[in-house]
Amino acid sequence: MPSPGAIGDAFLANYRRLFRETGITMEESVLGFLLGSFGAYLVAIFFVYSRTFQQAVYPYAVALKSTPLIAIAPLLVLWFGNGLFSKIVMSALVAFFPVLVNSAKGLTAVDPEALDLMKSLSASRWQVLTKIRVPNSLSYLMAGLKIASSLAVVGAVIGEFTGATEGIGHLINTSSYYLETPLMFAGVFMISLGGILFFGLMAFLERKIVFWQEPAH
Amino acid sequence: MSPSAPILEIRELNKVYHSGRDSVPAIGSVSFSVGRGEFVAIIGPSGCGKSTLLKIIGDLLEPSAGFVSVDGLSAHQARLKGRFSFVFQNPVLLPWRRIIDNVRLPLEVLGRHSREPEQLLQMVGLAGFEKRYPQELSGGMQHRAALARALTFDPQLLLLDEPFGALDEFTRDALNQQLLQIWQETGVTILFVTHGIGEALFLADRVIVLSGRPATVREAFKVPFPRPRPDALKETEYFQEVVKSLREKLE
Repeated sequence: MPSPGAIGDAFLANYRRLFRETGITMEESVLGFLLGSFGAYLVAIFFVYSRTFQQAVYPYAVALKSTPLIAIAPLLVLWFGNGLFSKIVMSALVAFFPVLVNSAKGLTAVDPEALDLMKSLSASRWQVLTKIRVPNSLSYLMAGLKIASSLAVVGAVIGEFTGATEGIGHLINTSSYYLETPLMFAGVFMISLGGILFFGLMAFLERKIVFWQEPAH
Repeated sequence: MSPSAPILEIRELNKVYHSGRDSVPAIGSVSFSVGRGEFVAIIGPSGCGKSTLLKIIGDLLEPSAGFVSVDGLSAHQARLKGRFSFVFQNPVLLPWRRIIDNVRLPLEVLGRHSREPEQLLQMVGLAGFEKRYPQELSGGMQHRAALARALTFDPQLLLLDEPFGALDEFTRDALNQQLLQIWQETGVTILFVTHGIGEALFLADRVIVLSGRPATVREAFKVPFPRPRPDALKETEYFQEVVKSLREKLE
């Protein structure tokens, strides 16, 4: 176990590299997060309008969720190479499920009287979607995005562990190889800081976007 | 106000709910009509199908048999043309919209412009609250906003489903007075579902008394009180007597 001083020294000696590698991992996480959440929200919208589609897709989503990411990571590296893209895909895969489940709930858990109101106004499906369902889903969506933001970072790091030439996971892996424990700690510290900032950004956006809702503690 | 040509006609309306192999009759056979500009209350024991009846009139539910005609149109056509407007048990205001934008919602959906939302908010006593969000308003004020929203596209018929039932008595009385005032100012026809006998008698020209499930019209009672009706009317012996006799009919 290295002393805080040793970790501090390792940080000062390598801070350029640490920031660069963390930046790469965060870039993968954010891109994967965006890809996964955007895809999940679209799928959730289709769920609202087609039960058949939902019943067809949901088991696969659950199966994907139940498969340990570490088990499919080598496969993804094989398919998508050991560059950024395989990590983005991995982040997207883990971000997908919480956003899907939450958004599907938020799009359907609408006050039945609000639907009656829209029907009494002869509103189109599109109007019901844009004026009722989507705004109603935002609080659920944001809850899903908070979970997904942390998971996306995990996904990217696992990807880097499996096969990468850069990124904080790669840095931790190689410093483990050379027994540079203080640098490993500095790397862990950096990426958890990145994860916390990402999560914090989502929590901030939640308060801004879902302003009408008291934050749940 | 004397009832003229009916704006709403209901003939032998019947509704049966099917759940699995069981069929539950909700509405037996209901016929009545409502004159243009009339204020009609519908009362009946709880669970008798009052709300179902109102939803069929408003084309939110399909009847099993019978027909509804609103201003010579089928309920469906009347809904598409925006001839009537609903006020629900809850105000159903969207929390992400300001009050003014909630009131404006029907105009956005229907894509037309009939009445100024600002003016309607003033009419229901909510001037100055346009920019507030619903959750910043009291329950009574939320119901006022819902009332304003129902009037935006100048409907000819207002369908109210136990609209102020969840409010305390003082707030409810104030809102009922507000409703009477709106009715007098706009000449809109009102169909008001309630389980309060006193409330029905105080507000309406006629009270349609429904039987228990499956609902049938037990009586169409013409309310004898002249207008305007001050709140003090409810304290008179005569009013209490009429309430009592109507209650006996309900039992």
